[in-house]
Formats: sequence, C-alpha cells, structure tokens
Amino acid sequence: MSGGGGGGKPRPPPDPIAVMRGHRAPVMDACFHPSRPLLFSGSADGELRVWDTAQHRTLSSTLAHGGGAGVYSVATNFAIGNKVVSQGRDGTCKCWEIEEAGLSRKPLVTFRTNSYHFCKISLVKSASCSSQSSKAIPASERIVESDYSINELEENKKNGVSKESIRFSDVNCAERSQAHLKDFSTMGERKLMALAGEDSSMVEIWDLATAKKLMRFPQTSNVDAASHPTMQRGMCMAIQAFIPSESGCSLNLLSGYEDGSMLWWDIRKPSLPLSTVRYHSETVLSLAVDGTCSGGISGSADNKIVMFSLDHRMGTCTMRKEISLERSGIAGTAIRGDNKIAATAGWDHRVRIYDYRKGNPLAILKYHSASCNAVAFSADSKLMASCSEDTTVALWELYPPKGTS
Amino acid sequence: MEKEAKAGGSGREREELETLTITKVAEVSAAIDGAKHVDEVIRALHFPVDSPLVAGVILDERSRNQILSVVLPKDGERNCWKNAFYRGSAFPALSRILLYNVASKWLADFPKLARKQVYDSFFVEGPTTEIVQALVPSLKQKGSTKDDFNVICSNIERLLMLCLLENEGVRLMVGEFGLLDEQDNNILKPDKVTFISRISQLLSSIPDKVRLRASSALSSHSFFRRVANQLLTGAEERAVQLNCNAIPDAAFLFVGETFSHVCRRGSIDVIVAEVIPRILSLVQSFLSSNANLVVPDVINSNPKSHFWLNMVEAIKDQYAVEKFSEEMLRQLASTSISDVEVYWILWILFSKNFKFGSFVRGMFVDKFLLWKVFPLCCLRWILQFAVFECPPNSDAQMEGRKTPHFLNSLQLLISIWSRREFVQSSSMEQQAYLTAAVGLCLERISKEELDATKDALSNILQGVSCRLESPIDLVRRMASSIALVFSKVVDPKNPLYLDDNCCEPVDWEFGMLPQRKQIAAASHNEDENKSKLFLREDRKSASDEKKQRVIKHKSAENNALIQELADPDENRNPVEVNGEHFSGEEDDDDSSDSSLKPYDLSDDDTDLQRKFSQLGDIAAALRKHDDPDGVEKALDAAEKLIRASPDELSHNSGDLVKALVHVRCSDVAMEGEEDSAEEKRQKALVALLVTCPFESLDVMTKMLYSSNIDVGQRILIIDIMTEAAQELCNTKVVKREQKQGELVSAVSQPWYIPSSRGPPGAGPWKEVSEPGTFLSWSHRYEREIPSRPGQTKAGKSRKWSLGKAKDLQVEWSQNRFPLYAAAFMLPAMQGFDKRKHGVDLLNRDFIVLGKLIYMLGVCMKCMAMHPEASALAPALLDMIRSRDVSNHAEAYVRRSVLFAASCILIALHPTYVASSLIEGNQEISGGLEWIRTWALHVSEADPDTECASMALTCLQLHAEMALQTSRALEAADQFKAQTRTLPPKLDNIIIPFSSTKF
Repeated sequence: MSGGGGGGKPRPPPDPIAVMRGHRAPVMDACFHPSRPLLFSGSADGELRVWDTAQHRTLSSTLAHGGGAGVYSVATNFAIGNKVVSQGRDGTCKCWEIEEAGLSRKPLVTFRTNSYHFCKISLVKSASCSSQSSKAIPASERIVESDYSINELEENKKNGVSKESIRFSDVNCAERSQAHLKDFSTMGERKLMALAGEDSSMVEIWDLATAKKLMRFPQTSNVDAASHPTMQRGMCMAIQAFIPSESGCSLNLLSGYEDGSMLWWDIRKPSLPLSTVRYHSETVLSLAVDGTCSGGISGSADNKIVMFSLDHRMGTCTMRKEISLERSGIAGTAIRGDNKIAATAGWDHRVRIYDYRKGNPLAILKYHSASCNAVAFSADSKLMASCSEDTTVALWELYPPKGTS
Repeated sequence: MEKEAKAGGSGREREELETLTITKVAEVSAAIDGAKHVDEVIRALHFPVDSPLVAGVILDERSRNQILSVVLPKDGERNCWKNAFYRGSAFPALSRILLYNVASKWLADFPKLARKQVYDSFFVEGPTTEIVQALVPSLKQKGSTKDDFNVICSNIERLLMLCLLENEGVRLMVGEFGLLDEQDNNILKPDKVTFISRISQLLSSIPDKVRLRASSALSSHSFFRRVANQLLTGAEERAVQLNCNAIPDAAFLFVGETFSHVCRRGSIDVIVAEVIPRILSLVQSFLSSNANLVVPDVINSNPKSHFWLNMVEAIKDQYAVEKFSEEMLRQLASTSISDVEVYWILWILFSKNFKFGSFVRGMFVDKFLLWKVFPLCCLRWILQFAVFECPPNSDAQMEGRKTPHFLNSLQLLISIWSRREFVQSSSMEQQAYLTAAVGLCLERISKEELDATKDALSNILQGVSCRLESPIDLVRRMASSIALVFSKVVDPKNPLYLDDNCCEPVDWEFGMLPQRKQIAAASHNEDENKSKLFLREDRKSASDEKKQRVIKHKSAENNALIQELADPDENRNPVEVNGEHFSGEEDDDDSSDSSLKPYDLSDDDTDLQRKFSQLGDIAAALRKHDDPDGVEKALDAAEKLIRASPDELSHNSGDLVKALVHVRCSDVAMEGEEDSAEEKRQKALVALLVTCPFESLDVMTKMLYSSNIDVGQRILIIDIMTEAAQELCNTKVVKREQKQGELVSAVSQPWYIPSSRGPPGAGPWKEVSEPGTFLSWSHRYEREIPSRPGQTKAGKSRKWSLGKAKDLQVEWSQNRFPLYAAAFMLPAMQGFDKRKHGVDLLNRDFIVLGKLIYMLGVCMKCMAMHPEASALAPALLDMIRSRDVSNHAEAYVRRSVLFAASCILIALHPTYVASSLIEGNQEISGGLEWIRTWALHVSEADPDTECASMALTCLQLHAEMALQTSRALEAADQFKAQTRTLPPKLDNIIIPFSSTKF
C-alpha cells in the first residue's frame, strides 16, 4: 500500500501490551492521570476503576454512579489537579479526590446537571496547558487563583443574566462584551467543565469547585430559544472545550450535533457561534482538538473521519483531510499530546491510528471483540488506552516518542 | 422340364393319360402291398427312371430282368405322361403311398442309389408347388405308432430339404408362378390368388410343422433365410424377364404373400436381413455411378430396381408391411449407413405407395412418429422421407418448396405434443421421441411458415409451459429444448436458454432409453433431487437477471481495463502522482516521520460477523428482509444454536419455524450462493424438528396447508419433515461414562493412595483397574519412575491383561421417531384433499401431494416394526386408497403412492398383521389386499415404466410380508389348537407360490 521507503512487507499491527479486565459491563470511557501512572475507567454498571498502568492491575474500584445508571464519562486534567470527574447517566457528575490508594470514599462535589444524554463531558484543554508550562505553576497557587476568579464570575454572571434581554437589544452590546472580556479570560485558569445541558441541544459550562452552572450556549432569551438555529440541530453529542493561546486565553468550545454539524463557540460571544461547519452527514459523536488548539479531528456515525484546522484570527474552521471508512461509526477520538498521531475508536471493534499531520492511516488495531467506546493517550504519549463494549480496556504502546525510547 | 411338359398334347389326350397314370398308380399300390422283398418294391416303383440304373442296384436276378425288359417311352411321350402324372390326381395318391407305406416299411432297406434314383426322384423331378402341397400337410398326420411317425416325418423333412433347399425349389416356384401368369394373360383370378396364398402359407409353415429334432436347416431362422434368398433371386430374375412392366404379377404376389406369412410367424427380421444387403448394393451402385445426382428416373429405368419398386406393393398384408418397414429401419440403424443411402432405400421401397397409398403415408406419419419409438437416426430418416420428402443432401434446393404435407404433419405433431394428457400418460421414451420429432421439424421451419400454421404457436407455448411444471427433470429439459429451437425460429439472433445446461446443438436423444431403476427408494431419491431442481427453478429467473447484470458489469470493467492498457500514459500517471505526493510530504516534515511507519493496514471483517447467541435474535434477524447480511449470518448461526437445544428452544421454536420458512434465500444470499443458504435453512429447520419436535411440528403442519405460503415453501416443509424423520430414526445416543470416582473431592491426597515419596521425577499415581471385574475390592496404583542412573532398558515392556471391555462410552442408535410419528403424520394427512385459496394438492400442486405421500412413506419406514406403525398404517392406507390419489393422472403421484405402499408393507410387523387377520381387522387386511391388487394393476397397465417396475417391487414386498405373516399364523395356529377356535376370517391374504389360503 503506502509502504513508504522501507520496501519490505509491512509489519503486522501490534497487539496490546496489556489488557485490563475486571469490569463487568461495557467500558464507556477511560482517561489517564496527567502525571501519575494511573488509568481511570468507567463502565456501564456504574463502576469507576483505577488502574495502575505500570503493573496493569486494579488499584481501586468505586461504585461511582449507582442504580444501574452507569458511568458515561471520566475525565481528568492537569488543570483540575489530583482529581477525576465522572459523569453518570443518573443526571449527576461527581468530582473525586485521587488518594494514595485510589479514590476518595466520597466524591468531593456532586452536582446535579439533570442531563440524561449521550454527550460526554469535556474538561478544558489549554494550549498553554501543555506539560511544561503547567508544571511550572504550583497546583495550590492555581487553585487559589481560580477560586477567586470563580467568585468574581459569579457576580458577573448574576448581573449578566439579569441584563441579558437588554444586552441583546442593546446597541452597545459589543462594548459591554468587551467589558466582560477580562472576566472571561480568567476562566482559563479555573476548573471548568463543559457538557450538554438539561436541554440537550444546549451546551453548559459548570464550575467544578462550586458545582454551579456558569453559562449556556447558545445564550438566548427564553422567548426565541426554540427558534434559535442551534436548536434545530438536534442534540449536542460531542463537546470539546479548549483555550487557545492565540485568542487571549478565552474559553472556546467545539460542539457537535445530531445533524452532523459542528459549531465553534467563543465564550465571549455566547449568542452565536464563530463558525458553523457541517462535514458529516450523520451525528457527530466525538471531537478532539490537538495540543496547540489549532485543529482537531472529529468522528461521527457516518463513515468519515474529518481532520480540520481552526483559524483563530479569522474564526474559521476548514477541513484539512477527510478519511472515509469502510464501516461507519467512530465513537471516540483522541490526539496524542505531541500531535503526532490520532486514534479513533470504531463501532467496528477496531482502533485506527492515523498520522495526525498527514492524515494517512498507520495502523488498524484489532483486539476488541465488541465496539470500542473511547480511546485515550497518556500525558507522556507513551501509552494509549482503548475501552470497549467487551468490558476490557486495552493498553497499547504505539510509536513511542523518540526522547523516551 | 416344365416347358417340355407344357408341350404335351390336347385336353383329351391328357384325360387319357391321367386315367392311365391312375391305373398305373393302382398297380404300383397293389404291387407294394403284396411285396415281400425290397426289390419288389423298387421294381414296382421304377417307372419314372431309366431302367439300367435301377437294375444296377437290384440284387434279385428276376426282378432285374423284368425291369430291363420294360420298354421305355420316348422323351416326348414321357413329358406328356409326367405332366399328367403330377398335375392330376395320380401324384397325390402315389405320394401318400410313398410317404406312408414305403417310407415306414421299406425305405430303410433301399440301397442308397435306389433311394435317390427311384424314390426321391418322384419328388425332385416334379413341380415344386405340387411337391409342397403333397409333403407339407403330411407332416402333421399321425402314424400308427410313434416309431412310424418319426420315420415318416424324418423322411418328409429330408425330402423337403432336398427339394426346397438343395434344388432351390423355392426359386423355381417363383418361376412357375411367373409361367402360370403368362398362360393366363396376366390376369389374377381369385382362385389363383387363393392358390398362391395357400402355397405360400404351406411354405412358411414348414419350420413350425417339423419336429423338434429336425435338422437345423429347417429351423425358422435358417430356413427362412434361405427361402428369402431364393425368393429374392427368383423375383429379380422375374423382374428382368418382365422388363419394367409394372403389372402385378403372380410371381411377385407369391413373394409378397410368403413375406407376409413369414412376418406373421414372427421372422421378418430374417427377411429384412436378406433384403438390406441387396437393396443397399443397388443403391450404392446408383450413388457411385451418378455422384450426387440421383434422379428417380435413373432408378426407374433400371430393370433390377424394378423389382424393388414393386415389392412392397406386392405385400398385401398391411401388418406385414408395417412390421417389415419397422424392422428395416431398426436394422438399418444398427449398421453404419449414410443418411443419403437410407433415404434412397426408403424411396425405392416405399415412394410409390407413399404417393398413392394412404396406408403407407399413415404408417410413416402417424404410426412411426406418434406411436412407435425408434432410435434418433431412424427418426431423422422417417422425417426426411415422410415429412420433408426430400433427400438429405439437397437441403438448399428444397428449402423453397415445402410440401403441404409437411405443415400438416408438423401441426399434427405439435398438437399432440402439447396435450397435457400426453405428458401425463405416455412413457418417457415416447415423449422424448415425439419431442425430438417436433424439434427436428421446427429446426427446418421459417417464421413465416410458423405463422401460417394455425394454432402451432399457441400449442407450442402451451406444451412448453405444461412441461416446465413437471417434477421430472427430463421433461423440463424437453420443454427447454423445444423453447430454444422455437425461439431461434422466431428470432435467430436471440436464442432463449431456459436452462443452464441447455446447449446449442440440442441433444434430442435425451438419453432416450433411460436405465430402469430397480429399487423404489433409489428412484425416489432421484425424484427428490429432481424436485429440488424444480424448486430452484423459480429462483432462477431472478438469479438470471442478476447474472446478466454481473456480466454486463464485468464487460464494462474489462473495457475499462483494455482502454487503460491501450493508454500507457494514463496507466503511469497515478504512480507518478503518488510519488510526488510522497516526496512532497517527506519534504514537509522530515524531522519526525521516520518513526511513523505504517503497520500492515489490511483488514477483513471476519471478526465482525454478527455472532448470534440468542434464538430470539436469530428469529428477529431472519425477519429483517431488508438486511440480507443479517439474515445470512442468522442462517449461518441457526443450526448450531438450535442443536445446542437451549432451554428456551421450546418457546422459540414456533417463531423460528415461521421465520425460517419465510426467509427468501434467493434474495438474501450472494450471487451463486443461494444453494448454500438454502441448505443452511433446511439444516436449521431439520435441527429444529429434531431437537424440539412437538412444538415445531405443531407450527409446521399448520403452515403446510395455510394459504399464505407458496408451493416451494410447502415442498420445503415436506422435505424438512422427511429429513427430520430420518434423522430421528437414526439418533445416536451416547451414554456417558459413569463416574466411579469419589463423590467428595479430596483436596489433599486421600489416605488410600500411596504416599508420593519416591525418587525425584516420579510421576503421579494412577489407578490401575483390576482385570476381569468392574468392581474391585482393592485399589491398585502405579506410577512412572525415572530410570536409575546406571539402568538400561532392554526390550519392550508389555502389559498383559484380559482386555476388559472398558469402552463404557457405548454408542448405540435408538429410534426416537415412533414417539413423534403421530405428530408428523396425522396433521399432514388431514386436509390434503381440501381445496382452498392457493392450496390445491390434488390437481395443480400435485408435486406437493407426491412429496407429501413420499414423506408419509418415509415416516412409515422410519418406525418399521414398531407398534406405532400398526396404529398409523390404517390412516395412511386410507389416504392412499382414495381414488383421487391412487389413480392420479400424474405418474409422479402414483410413484409416491407405490413407495408409501411399499413402506407400509415393510413397516408392519408380521405378528401384527397376523393378529389383525385373526381379529378380523378389516382396515388392515383390506388395505393390504388392496395394495396387492392395485400393484398388480399398475404393474400391468401403467404407462409409466418406472411405476410398473416399482409396482413389481411392491408386489415382491407384499409376497414377503405374506410369507412372514403365514409363519406367524402357523405359530398362532399351534397356539390356537391349545386354546380355542377363532373366527375364520383369514381369507384375505393370498400367499403366493402356494394354493393355500389363509
């Protein structure tokens, strides 16, 4: 095929270096701890497991979301520190403290989002958040800082909501937004989380620390909420929140909808998206932006994977590469921290690896015996985890970064 | 000699001579009566011969002198005298004396020369017609004693051989009749005709009249061969004499009469064998002399051929003509002879009669085409001669002018061919023959001519369609062959292939004389296959379309390929583009990408195929007709899952049955894989019936007569039931080995096992079973121990034991079918004769009926010798006895009935039959008797040969059954004698090979 310079027969695709069994139900999501060799995985029976990725064994198991609801998503991030957020299908999200022997007995915060949809939560990915810069800032400092700014935002928010109707009719809308700019820009330093809201075509921003809802997109008056164009797109099915370095550290959002369209929001302009594109003919199921926040990859229920680039100055999203698949359905996508490779989790039981820059396929990983739900890369880019309906989580070692190998 | 005799004088003189001869005969008679020595007899008889010759053989002096003293008449006088002697009443009188008195008393003592000169010359010298009249009737006359009779007969036989064969008397006779004709100015008077007929009859009766021990020269074969030879030679001579005068002649009449008499006596083959070489050489001489242009005139002008031209006309007996021509064709077929030669042979023999006589035309067109079955080459000849009426090598010139007879004959053929009754009731050979005739005719016809013949078109279509419905493959092949030929008539560029194996030069033989099947079951298997084929047929049309599409698609692809090949630039372009692409990328970022070499990207979806683990899923998937992949996978998984017989199977079975029956395999499966899908479906259904009989049968038998399934599905159901019955009948039950081990599992080593101490490397202890007994009071253990360092192994180690039968995993077959037999049979037998919307087993769907009866037969067979068989047999008998079934118009159904009847005979236990006879169970005894009479009837009268042979098998089985039953009855009789008398109702079984009636 595209054998490149090697000439000989291409290598057979690798097998997982480890398969972690223990879940008794389909594994819905997995994520790596940003600094420790830990993997969190949540399954459809509500269990949240912590795995040691060096020893390949379970460290702890918690019934995170009981009552048959199941964990839908787990997420952790440098920004939120030594915590992990789980999203359940019971209308709640829980934030857990990561202790020495696993998770805290009780969640730090439980917040009722009242959302019962199929959209996984997204923590904020920040371009400046890439490993070196964030490590420089001590965690405690950041938390203090963010606590402060949350309070500030809260006040603003109260005002903002009350003024909302006026703001839209107001001629000086732009000016006022400028006034708020500073507040919003500080949000990048806070522990925020984006998810599809109670009304599942809305995207909501929540504060992790206070368990409060901060914003909604699109921000509309209640009157014309139903007629807003975003509402016509159906449910929001995938969200990615990020803070690009170019746009002055304001929070951006990518949201994918049932009709296959993808909207790019800037938190400073909550009423209308920066850009609307429709690359997919079916529901957008997963979105991921790369480390520099200048592009990303999207998977959907149709037989396409789209790689796109985001132009922050123009506020436009353009398609970089379209990869068509034999079998449709991409449930999860991920881009490795060094932006070299991207992975997709397919309904066809396969994990596909792509060269993120060129967009050419690198490997088709066949291990799972049921459809894959998510893929995740570790922060040091050495490992990849794939989780599947077959109740297993597989660990892979792919194209390890040069420095380490 | 005869001519000289004719020269004899007038009538008065003749009368005188006659009286003279009569007195002479009286004298001779008296002399012989009074004779005391053989010489006296010879002397008395000497008068027709030269005296000195006779004198030489006579020992007695006195007699010799007497003989020598007799004054001999002169030649002329002698002829007159001879004529008077033979034509008058003297010869018959003397011949009686000679044949009876002399032969029995004196002839043995005659010296050889005297016998020849004196005795035999009476017969040899006379006219053959008279001799025959004198000799032949005497063959049947009884002598006084058996010895006398033998002597007389052997003498007559000797004389016949002498006169007719050695002296070529038959040839002379032909000449005699010719002369007779000339005397009477060629007018055939009635008395002459009767005379000729009488003579020929006497002649042809000789082989039948002679004794069994007579010389082989008088056996009908060799005698008639030589007679025919002489007759033909004589007739040819006569023809030359007549020189092309086409007047009916007594000589010919005689030849013809003799032929017809020989024919009536069943030896026409001998004559034909004599005729063929002669006429063939004649035709060959014509053909070689005039290359290709054989004009009838050339033949007419030849005096030799004149005989042949008139010969068939001379045979007045139509039956003989028919036999003669039939035999002629058959014998010609066995030789390697060219079509042209045969054509001219037929032309020479029959053209005259064919043109003018309606009989010969009728014989060829009607009898030989519609009633008889000839080999294919004969059919061609018949058509060539009687229908096309032109020599086979002149097609081109004859194309323009086709006789009106041709179209008439074709119309007749087609109208008979297309009748449904013909398809149903005539034998397979006949059908193949007529089909070939129609086909060969159609090959010669043009579209305009076809349009001109009324009804031909519609008749052909009707014939084809009613044949295509037939369960018999051969019949359908006939239909498709005719359809092909017909389509080529209508549009030569667009031939219609109804069948895959229908090839361009149609094989009209159809394997015309198929091998008869001996065993009923075997033939049925074939039927099954046939009807499976039939099942497939309706799917064919769909798949054909698909095929065409594929072919088109492929051709398009090929074109594209060719174009690509033709344009090398285009071919190279992609590579270059790729190369650029690559290099560009390399340039882009060469820093990182050596590490990102792709892995093998090949991918297949074998692991993705949906795995079914629930019966419910399968049923659901089967119902989704819009998801062919799902259906296919469900079919793949179905059998295995059903065979596992999970607990919920009994709840799901009905659902599954419905889903499986309704699946359309042809729509679902990939092109060319319909059969495997069909097979999977069938296997799954069989598995269902076997693992879960009652529930599945309940649904299946209900569906069998429901109006919302088609014929194919009905047949499917019946096939499934048949297979399931057979499988249930042969179920293998594997008995698990009984665990004799401990009930409580021992974690540590039990106390009774030796301790594991020992040298390092010793194996674990194994229990050794005690030879001889199952149960042992003590346990014995052994283990393997590694050999000691210095130890060497010498030889083999053997273990001796009693070879205990430790195969506890016994496998035995157990017939599970009888348990379910009623569920299989009774619902299926109900309502087969009802006509509902879409269900009409007795008429339209007779194939279903045939299969149903076959299935019931198989069921019967599967529970042979079980008590259930006797319970169910009356019901089945009742069904097949009904008139509509047993006398069904289609042979297919009758075959099934015969099969079912045979199965009943096999299945019933003799003791049951015996007890039912003793008890007077009318159902059974009447039914069995009906089987016998019906099978007899079929074996005698059925047009279908296979039916007849099956009926014979059935009769055989009946005889066997009766024999077994009679034995059972004997046993019962013994018992009866001890106990009490039973009502004498035993008159229903007739035991073959004995007159005893039970």
